[in-house]
Amino acid sequence: MGNISPQKTWGGAPLLSEVTEHIHERLTCVEPDYTQWFDPRQLRRMSRVLKMGVAAGSIALKEANIAIPDAIITGTGYGCLEDTGIFLSKMVENKEEALNPTPFIQSTHNTIGSLIALMLQCQGYNQTYTQGAFSFENSLLDALLMVKEEPALKVLVGGVDEITDYSHTIQKRFGKFRERSESNLNLYKTEDGALNGEGAAYFVLSGEKSDKSAVSMEFVGTFYKADAETLQSGINDLLQQAGLTTKDIDFVLLGNSGDQHNDKALQDHASVLFSKSSTGAFKHLCGEHPVASAFAFWLGVKMLQEQTIPSSVILKNANRSLNNVLIYNQYFGTHHSFILLKSCRDSG
Amino acid sequence: MEQLMADLKKQIIEALNLKHLKPENIGDDQPLFGDGLGLDSIDALELIVLLQQSYKVKIDNPQDGPTIFRSVKSIAEYIRANQTA
Repeated sequence: MGNISPQKTWGGAPLLSEVTEHIHERLTCVEPDYTQWFDPRQLRRMSRVLKMGVAAGSIALKEANIAIPDAIITGTGYGCLEDTGIFLSKMVENKEEALNPTPFIQSTHNTIGSLIALMLQCQGYNQTYTQGAFSFENSLLDALLMVKEEPALKVLVGGVDEITDYSHTIQKRFGKFRERSESNLNLYKTEDGALNGEGAAYFVLSGEKSDKSAVSMEFVGTFYKADAETLQSGINDLLQQAGLTTKDIDFVLLGNSGDQHNDKALQDHASVLFSKSSTGAFKHLCGEHPVASAFAFWLGVKMLQEQTIPSSVILKNANRSLNNVLIYNQYFGTHHSFILLKSCRDSG
Repeated sequence: MEQLMADLKKQIIEALNLKHLKPENIGDDQPLFGDGLGLDSIDALELIVLLQQSYKVKIDNPQDGPTIFRSVKSIAEYIRANQTA
């Protein structure tokens, strides 16, 4: 796994041993020195989101000891915003003449997945999903279907999104995020709106268990503008198909975003369905963005790998051992998703 | 001519994001592509835009590109020869 996020999630540090505090309206990534992976000549054309994405992909492949994956699948809600902004600004400034090629070429959503493939000379399946807050979930679903059909495949799958000054200003104008600067560590104390976030996380999925496999993904399910009843029957169906019930869920990682209305609905719903499970939250660590569930995926896998729940994540501790971790995400009350992660210690 | 070449070096570094270079690292006659500065075809397009935006100079025949963009000196000579007063 590779994860560039508003926390220091790279470089082998113990899982969230130090939580990075951001006292700002938005949570931006703690970025590594990219020259440790890439030649400066390769880096000079890359925008920030490209560096984040390509670095996360490289870390994931290196950790899985895979030189070239069979497929690259990327989810991104916003795409390459910085280059899009530059391209559009130049178009206006230059009266639609003599446009710079680099931001134009790199403004498309699929630039991240394409660049990873170009750098690896990977000619396999390459897909980018850009379906708002389901972009990462749909990428996972595609990867899951691929490895179910051909278990030997090694699929690089991830979610990438960035904040730019332009995008943040526009989103604030829509009233999507809280108005004042605030510590992310107080996100759930004040509950007066979500904090904008960003991140890039990639994972290697395969249908075959290897020595390095610690976690399996059992299912991913998405529900758009669903009511509580639909969500309840939806999660029950997904669990039933996996041979489980709500009682088997040891930990629920909730997508509380700091928005009072949506968080209360999520919390109420989770407390009914998963009353015996431990619960936690993650968006005070990564902020709200369309592929925040990729950060939750990374966190869930890490927790299962290390059999530990960071104190900064816990909302309710039921003192259960970690075998099944359910990510229950929501995005502004419209996009709901469930992802079940299972420890490979049991699955044999 | 000297001033034009100095300006061009600064503009090339900025336009192509060659942060690892300083203007004095680029020789007047040093090849910009291939074994020289290592620029590529996308950089060539960026240079065409640079000439058009900053010097109002267009390259009418694309086949002249390799000759014009051979070095900073050759670009400066082309600008001098084609810039309207």
